[in-house]
Amino acid sequence: MKFAVIALRNLARNRRRSLLSLLIVAAGTIGTLLTTGFIRFSFEGLREAIIHGGIGHIEVVPRSGLAESGPSAERSGLPGMTGWQELRSEIEAMPHVLAAGAVVQFTGMISKGERSAAVFAVADEPERERRMRFEVKLRGGTGLPDAPPSEGEDAVLLGTALARGLGAGTGDVLTLLSITTDGTLNALDLRVAGLITTGLQDVDSRIVRMHLASAQRLLGTPNITSLVVGLDDTARTAEVQAELERRLRGRQPSLAVVDWKTRVPFYGQVESLYLGIFWFLGSVIFVLVCLSTSNTLMMSVMERVREIGTLLAIGTSRAQVAAIVLLEALWIGLLGALAGDLLGIALVAAINALGIQMPPPPGATGGIELRLATQPGDFAAGIALMLVILGIAAAVPVSISVRLRIADALRHV
Amino acid sequence: MQAGMGDFEATGLPGPPRVPGGAAPLFEASGLRKTYRLGAVTIEALRGVDLVVTRGEFVVVAGPSGCGKTTLFNLLGALDGPDSGSVRFEGSDLGRLTSTEKTLFLRRKVGFVFQSFNLVPVLTAYENVEYPLWIDGLGRDKRKRRTEEALASVGLAGRMHQRPDQLSGGERQRVALARGLVHDPRVILADEPTANLDSKTGAEIVDLLARTNSERGTTFLIATHDPAIIERSPRTVRLLDGRVVADGCAGLSRPGGAR
Repeated sequence: MKFAVIALRNLARNRRRSLLSLLIVAAGTIGTLLTTGFIRFSFEGLREAIIHGGIGHIEVVPRSGLAESGPSAERSGLPGMTGWQELRSEIEAMPHVLAAGAVVQFTGMISKGERSAAVFAVADEPERERRMRFEVKLRGGTGLPDAPPSEGEDAVLLGTALARGLGAGTGDVLTLLSITTDGTLNALDLRVAGLITTGLQDVDSRIVRMHLASAQRLLGTPNITSLVVGLDDTARTAEVQAELERRLRGRQPSLAVVDWKTRVPFYGQVESLYLGIFWFLGSVIFVLVCLSTSNTLMMSVMERVREIGTLLAIGTSRAQVAAIVLLEALWIGLLGALAGDLLGIALVAAINALGIQMPPPPGATGGIELRLATQPGDFAAGIALMLVILGIAAAVPVSISVRLRIADALRHV
Repeated sequence: MQAGMGDFEATGLPGPPRVPGGAAPLFEASGLRKTYRLGAVTIEALRGVDLVVTRGEFVVVAGPSGCGKTTLFNLLGALDGPDSGSVRFEGSDLGRLTSTEKTLFLRRKVGFVFQSFNLVPVLTAYENVEYPLWIDGLGRDKRKRRTEEALASVGLAGRMHQRPDQLSGGERQRVALARGLVHDPRVILADEPTANLDSKTGAEIVDLLARTNSERGTTFLIATHDPAIIERSPRTVRLLDGRVVADGCAGLSRPGGAR
């Protein structure tokens, strides 16, 4: 305890220098906090956007369909999942499951008059999507009705870029062509109910959404491509996935259980990129804080060589001298990080309140609001990180102080 | 003396040898040589010094600046090692002490008083004096009693909560002396204790040293060229160019002698 007091008082000897060190540590802590908050917000925002944009937390799909399309989000093969209603009832009875929506995915050709475009169609159940908290981003018109449309009343949602390409708008009637399950070509007239965006330009130029019943009518099958499962908490994904895999083991035809992250490799790439940026920034902060505080500590030790010699001469062990210097470093780390945390809390609150708009990420259609998703643990982690950095920064000053020869130190001017 | 503090066995050293018919030797230095290099220049600080100091003595080591007084004190106090020769303290060779034993020796057996006081500026007078007891692990109550006694013995009972920069030079040296005495060491090594003081304050400090020696029986070795101290010393060892040139009672020094 007394060494800690001595170390703290030593910091007060050169207030300006100590203050500068504290500011450096505080700045490092703030930098770490803001970066962590921004990256977490980006991860969480992207993750939830992916899941609630229609991917869901978990997909149950025939292994044959999986083999055809791989684990990616888009499955363009003919729907091959039979007997899905019973399975859906079983899944929806599981804990943490909000709903399991039947989905048919297929490719086709859509046309309006002379203009045609290849499309990727997603057919689903709007009522269940709502239960799964999925969000369809409408940019005009209305969404799809919950009830299955009767023949001749089929409706479609068009990606905004696709609508522009076709020159189509709400209320227009388009014709969708596709191959049925028995290999023949079939066509379906669809009224444009609304325009949608997925947030990705590439997808917006080729996506159409419709009711499950319309797609089954077009393809001539009661089968579906997959069941998409929505959960009440993303953190439960692995747990529910494992339980589903256990229940479906041995079932014929064989079904695969794929989580959202596997279906969207893009997320993993973004995660790697952001983590790379985070570690790079963290390394810069580490080096800056470490070097500058190490220099301060070194100066502090060199100014007190004779004093350290005196402490050794009156029986202070070298370990105790090391403890004093190390504690000085830890005080700087602790006080600087606490100051950084307090300033960081204020900054995070201010930034989140300002609602700063960020430009759209590459390939995206809209900007995002800058928000920082800090957690209470981040503040403790900031302190711990700074204590580690200061502990490392103290290595050389500690080494110098414990290697002093007493007689030389006492002669030092 | 040494009431409960620092039993000699705790330093790993054997007990003090007895000299038949006389006081036990405290220090036995023989053939001490020490050389320093300053760039290309070699300085022979000590050129074969022999010295025996017995318990309870009050010994002045006198000589001009650069004669080797501080070097000799550094060797006697185990702050430095000789190039050749040896220092025995109560029969044990200080050169053979391990690092831990040396720390315990400094902590329990020796007290230092420096020319520039060398107080820790961030500690109060009380804390400076208490410090040697604290690092030796003494309990709070014992520390308090002994610290207050030590400060009272040097006449600073009323100034104990001042920091060194709030004290006069004489008061600082009194604090330094109290710090040197608080753990009841066998010996006080005082290097030019009055050099930074005016003559009146210096005389007061010398009185204090002499009184402590007579009342507590603490051995004193004082390096000085202050005539006021030399005159009052029962034994003066004179150093010149790294050699003992005289050793004896004031005015009766034996040329080149060593006890």
